[in-house]
Amino acid sequence: MDFSLTDEQVMLRDTARALLAKECPPILVREHVDDPTVALPLWSQLKDFAALGDGPCTDLCLFIEETGYAAAPGPFFATTALFAPLLAAIDHELLPAVLAGDATGTVAVAGADGQWTPNDEPVKTFVPEADRVDFVAIVGADARVRVVPSADVSTRHVRMIDFSRRFFEVDTAAVAGAPAAELDPATLTNLTARATAALAAEMVGTSRRLFEMALAYAKERIQFDVPIGSFQAIQHRLAECSLDVERATAAAQYAAMTLDAEDPERFHAVHVAKAAAGNAATRSAKDSIQIHGGIGYTWEHDLHLYLRRAVGSEYWLGTTSWHHDRLADLLMPI
Amino acid sequence: MHLSWGPEEVAFREELCAFLDEYVPPEFERGYDYAGEGEGEDGADIVPGWAREWQATLFDHGWMIPGYPPELGGRNCTLVQTLVYLEELASRRVIRSFHYPGYGIVSPSLLEFGNEEQKKLVPAAARGDTIWCIGMSEPNAGSDLAGLQTRAMLDGDRFIVNGQKVWTSYASVAQKCFVYVRTDPDVPKHKGISLLIVDMDTPGIEVRPLRHLSRSAGFAEVFFTDVEVPVENLVGGLNDGWRITQGSLAHERAGLWVEGVCRLDSTVQGLIGIAERYGRHTDAGVRRDIAAFYEQALSLRALGHKGFSSFAQGSSAPEHSYMKMATSEIGKAAAEYGMELQGAYGPVMDPERGEDNGRWVNYFFLSFANTIAGGSSEIQRNIIAQRVLGLPRS
Ligand SMILES: Cc1cc2nc3c(=O)[nH]c(=O)nc-3n(C[C@H](O)[C@H](O)[C@H](O)COP(=O)(O)OP(=O)(O)OC[C@H]3O[C@@H](n4cnc5c(N)ncnc54)[C@H](O)[C@@H]3O)c2cc1C
Repeated sequence: MDFSLTDEQVMLRDTARALLAKECPPILVREHVDDPTVALPLWSQLKDFAALGDGPCTDLCLFIEETGYAAAPGPFFATTALFAPLLAAIDHELLPAVLAGDATGTVAVAGADGQWTPNDEPVKTFVPEADRVDFVAIVGADARVRVVPSADVSTRHVRMIDFSRRFFEVDTAAVAGAPAAELDPATLTNLTARATAALAAEMVGTSRRLFEMALAYAKERIQFDVPIGSFQAIQHRLAECSLDVERATAAAQYAAMTLDAEDPERFHAVHVAKAAAGNAATRSAKDSIQIHGGIGYTWEHDLHLYLRRAVGSEYWLGTTSWHHDRLADLLMPI
Repeated sequence: MHLSWGPEEVAFREELCAFLDEYVPPEFERGYDYAGEGEGEDGADIVPGWAREWQATLFDHGWMIPGYPPELGGRNCTLVQTLVYLEELASRRVIRSFHYPGYGIVSPSLLEFGNEEQKKLVPAAARGDTIWCIGMSEPNAGSDLAGLQTRAMLDGDRFIVNGQKVWTSYASVAQKCFVYVRTDPDVPKHKGISLLIVDMDTPGIEVRPLRHLSRSAGFAEVFFTDVEVPVENLVGGLNDGWRITQGSLAHERAGLWVEGVCRLDSTVQGLIGIAERYGRHTDAGVRRDIAAFYEQALSLRALGHKGFSSFAQGSSAPEHSYMKMATSEIGKAAAEYGMELQGAYGPVMDPERGEDNGRWVNYFFLSFANTIAGGSSEIQRNIIAQRVLGLPRS
């Protein structure tokens, strides 16, 4: 396996990095807590990259990792990692507009139990960004897909740990009769794997941000007349934390490569990627707060913005334990 | 970024597999850990005859160190092909040699730092005809290697060496030793170290074997009393030995990550087998634990490959700094877990009663060596913190 990036990929990543550093500083993530509309100008920049939603998973993940680093709010993930691939799978007429960045969308799958498994319950849970996208794709039992304008369903915001990604309960009763496209369940499994790999990549970005903040602070904070980063307890904590971030990075890229190659081991790789990313995200969040001491426990400090994104993501599309269990099902079928 | 190897690597692997199918000795079926950690408890051959023949066969067919030219036991292959080679060997649980210092440390060090005469020692080192040992550690210089005190005084055309080495693997069977000595006690400790090639049958050398905690013959104490070493056995410059130690450790680490991840993989596969045989694979906790080991093993393999991708393009590969610490620590936990899964049978060593011929206790023991030898896990964390992350020294 070759992890080296092509020149185009390096450019894509650098462009994403520069764009998000400029358009999505911590202050925007903070203002977004009370005013989600501040993310609008960001989307007007990110929409130029919506076509990534129908390209190689490796490219999408490279870009999305940077959105995770910035804890970027808005419809980018829902549109490119969830909605666009689903439209492509059912050959939907909206796809060109979505890839052009002219329409946004999200996907509703989970029912009351919060599990990402198709069902016919009218009320869908944990639907990201449902109030600010143009369309909602509702996946029902037997993987039947209805794509409806978001204005036609009623949404209820559910406040959660992370303010940068907003989740909704969506009541789809009013569109029960909308025409449905057939999706074969195996394709749905592939789509879920792709979304999960993208989320793992995003979490890697968030983890890296948290880790870098801790590392920078360890170098600058002086106690006992020396930088706290010269203490071995801090050094070893950071060494272990960086290992977890590095291996999650590699695991996420590997998963994206296996998806692009339609490798038979791709589901193993995706479960590994999400579990490794969950581990890196929660670990870097906790280590970073600990290394910051009291300042890390304040609302004023930016750390919690990224901690929230990291922890929130751990619980979406399957926790680390859930992915371990699914991995076990592949490794040790009963 | 892509998954598959190119056609050249595929062809390379086919050629390798054809060779292995024909020549791999049947003795390898006895178990992966057989090598290195000696089978016999009392006086068993550390390097058995069949293993010597195997290494010579590899050398003669250009499969010993594939990146080297044919006269040094290779076939001038690329870095990527070398990786394919290492992975194929590991997946078959086959190792090249029962004594790594000669091909793994001495050969590359002599090629880089040795003079023309010294380079002539490389073929025999790589073929395994000469068994080498490495005299770095001393009773008072372990992690703090630069504190070594074995003294070499220049006296005309020879050095007179006095002092002691310890934990010297293969010393009881080796013909030659790479001995790190202090040649100038009056300068800062890193600046007064030199490297000497010492024949183990030189008068004044006494080897006292030490057993590993597994009871197998392993390393030794080596005492030097007025040992005369010709001045031409100095490798590199006088007092320039520290630079070579850094090289030796780098050589040791370069390909070692592959072995580390492959060993871990095979341990995790072992866990799955045990869980199924002991009926524990239906236990939710066991399933989750094993999956977590698998997650670590696969993500570390990916990390190794990611580092390799930059390394192969000539960039530095900080990723590899993590590999030794991570694979050895997780390997230790996995070995212990493998015993745990066997319940009362966990500690059984009787080959007729224990799992995997009673080898899990050996895996468990060996896992301790992996987190100590070649730079302990604590030292690895220091290195990561200071050299990779740029944190200030304490
Ligand atoms: C199986 C085996 C084979 C070996 N083969 C050879 C060989 O062939 N040739 C050879 O020269 N040597 C060999 N060694 C020796 C090996 O390199 C040393 O054991 C190793 O470098 C550690 O040194 P030490 O044993 O003196 O432990 P110490 O350095 O005394 O360490 C003791 C403990 O203190 C910790 N520690 C030390 N310094 C620090 C620090 N700065 N920060 C935090 N913690 C620290 C260590 O991590 C360890 O836990 C071998 C060892 C083993 C186990």
